[in-house]
Amino acid sequence: MIELLFVVFLAALLFSTIAAWFVAPNAPGHRIPPLFLLVSVLLGLAIAGKCFLTGSTIYLDFSSHLPFAFGFTVDRLSGFFLMLICGLAAPVALFSSNYSDHYSKAAWKWYWSLVPLFILSMAMVVAASTVFAFMLGWELMTLLSAGLILIEGDSEERRRSVFIYLVMMHAGAAAVFATFLLFLPHAEALTFSAMRVAASGLPNSLRTVIFLLSFIGFGMKAGIVPLHFWLPKAHAIAPSPVSALMSAVMLKTAVYGFIRLAFDLLGNPQPWWGYLVLCAGIATAVLGILYALAENTLKRLLAYSSIENIGLIYIALGVALVFQAHSLPTLAALALIAALFHALNHALFKGLLFLGSGAIYRSTSTLNIEELGGLLSRLPGIGISFLIGCAAISGLPLLNGFVSEWLIFKSLLHGSALEPAPALPLLIGAVALASTLAGACFVKVYGVTFLGRPRSAAANDAKSVPQNMDLSLFAMAVACLVLGIDPGLLLRPLYSLAALLVANATPPPELAVISRTMPLVAAAVGVSLVLALRLMKWGGRRVDTWACGLPGLTERMQYTGTSFSKPLRSVFNAVYKPARKLDVEPVGESYFPASITYQSVRTTSFEKTLYRPAVDFVVAAARQLRRLHTGNIQVYLLYIFLMIVSLLLVLRFL
Amino acid sequence: MNLLANVIQVLILVLAAPLLRGFIARLKAIIQRRRGASIWRPYADLWKLFHKEDLVPKTATAVFRGAPAIGFAVTLVATAFLPLLHSNALVQLDGDIFLFVYLLVIVRFVMSLAALDGGSAFGGMGSSREALVATLAEAPLFLVLTAVAILAKTSSLSQMAQWTTTQNFFDISTVHILAFAALVIVAIAETGRIPVDNPTTHLELTMIHEAMVLEYSGPSLALIEWSQAIKLHVMGALMVALFAPWGMSAVDTAGGLLVALGVYALKLLGLAIGLSIVESSVAKLRMYVVPDFLRVASALAILAVIFTAITKR
Repeated sequence: MIELLFVVFLAALLFSTIAAWFVAPNAPGHRIPPLFLLVSVLLGLAIAGKCFLTGSTIYLDFSSHLPFAFGFTVDRLSGFFLMLICGLAAPVALFSSNYSDHYSKAAWKWYWSLVPLFILSMAMVVAASTVFAFMLGWELMTLLSAGLILIEGDSEERRRSVFIYLVMMHAGAAAVFATFLLFLPHAEALTFSAMRVAASGLPNSLRTVIFLLSFIGFGMKAGIVPLHFWLPKAHAIAPSPVSALMSAVMLKTAVYGFIRLAFDLLGNPQPWWGYLVLCAGIATAVLGILYALAENTLKRLLAYSSIENIGLIYIALGVALVFQAHSLPTLAALALIAALFHALNHALFKGLLFLGSGAIYRSTSTLNIEELGGLLSRLPGIGISFLIGCAAISGLPLLNGFVSEWLIFKSLLHGSALEPAPALPLLIGAVALASTLAGACFVKVYGVTFLGRPRSAAANDAKSVPQNMDLSLFAMAVACLVLGIDPGLLLRPLYSLAALLVANATPPPELAVISRTMPLVAAAVGVSLVLALRLMKWGGRRVDTWACGLPGLTERMQYTGTSFSKPLRSVFNAVYKPARKLDVEPVGESYFPASITYQSVRTTSFEKTLYRPAVDFVVAAARQLRRLHTGNIQVYLLYIFLMIVSLLLVLRFL
Repeated sequence: MNLLANVIQVLILVLAAPLLRGFIARLKAIIQRRRGASIWRPYADLWKLFHKEDLVPKTATAVFRGAPAIGFAVTLVATAFLPLLHSNALVQLDGDIFLFVYLLVIVRFVMSLAALDGGSAFGGMGSSREALVATLAEAPLFLVLTAVAILAKTSSLSQMAQWTTTQNFFDISTVHILAFAALVIVAIAETGRIPVDNPTTHLELTMIHEAMVLEYSGPSLALIEWSQAIKLHVMGALMVALFAPWGMSAVDTAGGLLVALGVYALKLLGLAIGLSIVESSVAKLRMYVVPDFLRVASALAILAVIFTAITKR
């Protein structure tokens, strides 16, 4: 029965695509594709929820009807990630139904036909039970998201960003594919179940190679520093609902792939694998949030913050691998739960924030926070949900982000059981740094965007947004609150999931502790808040803001995003290395110059030191290889002949 | 008796907080050969503010109005995690050190937002500088707590205090001295005292915390001042609980608790004297020297965590 429903779910997504071609925007029935998409992802959510919560597994195998192994299995792990995809696709569909209004007819049709396919491809990745199904979904996911990015224009710069995105994704896909192929001589078939059986028989060196390849391949998609280069470029220019899907869900498919491979298929990690993942996670988290702090374009900032959150997830995964390698299954389960919980949390608040920035863009036509301000009173619905999102991503208690960060802290602290004892606990400092930087970053985002006075006419005249947008954001904000106050809702099924991936685990006591405490803390805060509100009078006389007694305070005197982050940027100057250029005309005139131009350009050092040399090398090598292409057919025949002879020689002597 | 003692602890932390402030102000006056105000003065100030009118900037939203109440409420809840008279707090769980710190982070988050809500340069300035100080102070604070948690093999403040009371000071002194030194720096930064910030400054350009609350008046300001006082007291109590819990009452009898209260008051007095001497003898640091000051705390805290490896356990 549930198998049938799953097929219906996949088919319904395909049907939404087809439906989009027969309906025109602003024509009767233009709500059909969004509605159909919404219904189908809700169906998917129900199926995924059942698989995740009850552990009932869907098996579908089409291999006998096809020339290649192709099938789906939805177990608890797949169910969890499918729940994430569908759970996020629902508010995105609701939001998009209004967001897509301003598209041209062609763009509208492309949008509504590609979005369901994009969701379908992600569902395929997490539900796949064979390598073929997985890679098909994986590649479609990349291509469809690239197509969606180009809907909102195809300027030279956009095409360049999409090109970088595609190149890096295909490099990653090659690594992922190689990961799977390396199982081949040992596994009977390229199905996950056969690979799982074969994994224990693999030689140790091959296991290490497989692990490293998967780390690079999935890390490329997840945006691990220094492989994150494409992420802010691609996520920032996609339509906001698509950015929400890419950042909140697509990155998680990489996390899924990594967990599936490292914990489920491969198993038995070595300690240094864990430390490798952990160090990459630390670098990713701290650098990601530092870059985010310096950004002033809302969506680029959010994209960098996604890098930070992926870093936190990888930290937890690394800790889990370390514990598993040291045969501490309960602690490994704790860290794994932290990673999974944070994956869900990040999907919720980052989806919320990206959709929120979409609403801001719809309302003000700008995403530069330096031109915004005072939006809370103009867009109260969006403003309140966005505030909850900002608080959640900063890890404040009573919201979901805190619970996963607490679990990460606890698992790092348990690292004192290993030798050398202070190694893992020391990393608490790094996580705390990333976490407070995130707090500063989102105080800046919210304060500059929603509070104070509007900094431009566009912000001053912000138009109200349709109710569907408010509603979709509100739903996600409520989810953040509920999971923050009662994390036990999710922690219990997550333990059942972790117990499947980590053998011999017993329930970590932390889960019960935090599930019991958070409602209590929420109640205590509620009671004290009532007390505090009784102590103050809500009314108050409205007066002008204090300006040292002088009149004429203008919006330009407010702190901007740039000035807010200035102290932190100067402290972490080594990370940013900005190239500054100050031109004063006429030269040498220090007072009353005719004009001053100031430029500050930040190129991440990875671009200069890692990517540029690599690209230059490839181009130079290609130039050398071009000499072989003489255009003379006899020479090409000679090449073929030499090749055959050398192959025969190799085969003779091997 | 146990529950009663726990509630009394919270009440002491909340209600005696302005007294601590008055005490420090008086001590500073004595050191500086001034007459100084009464130690009860902060209570009078609060009373006055609670009865004054609230002035609200025209651009301000509900964030500005709600921030003092949220900050006060959360600070109240944070006090419930601290053991004071005996090694039991009203709320304790394994891992409450992280929850405790994060509750204080909420206060800073809402106050920083509220500062930006006024729409003037001062609020933004305070908020931005607070972000700098907080970012650099948070990591050492976590590491200090981690160092003690590793030694005590628990991450509950009450259990940590309980464990420390059973120890010989000289067995754990390496880690404790390093961690204490780091915590002193962090506490100075977190509570906005000299040399990081000057709570009595009157010049907007030199302010951090005072610039953030510049727009507040009346009852809202009273709530902010009170939560700030509680935070100072909480930081002092945290130092006592972590590094000098000896003297906490082992049994919950009225006499034992009274003695414990006296001992606690003495320890706090010691901290207050230390703070007054520092505040009277050191000048406020330039803004861009503060990060260096806080880096010292980070270095000390990292060393404290590393030295847990060589400490007898």
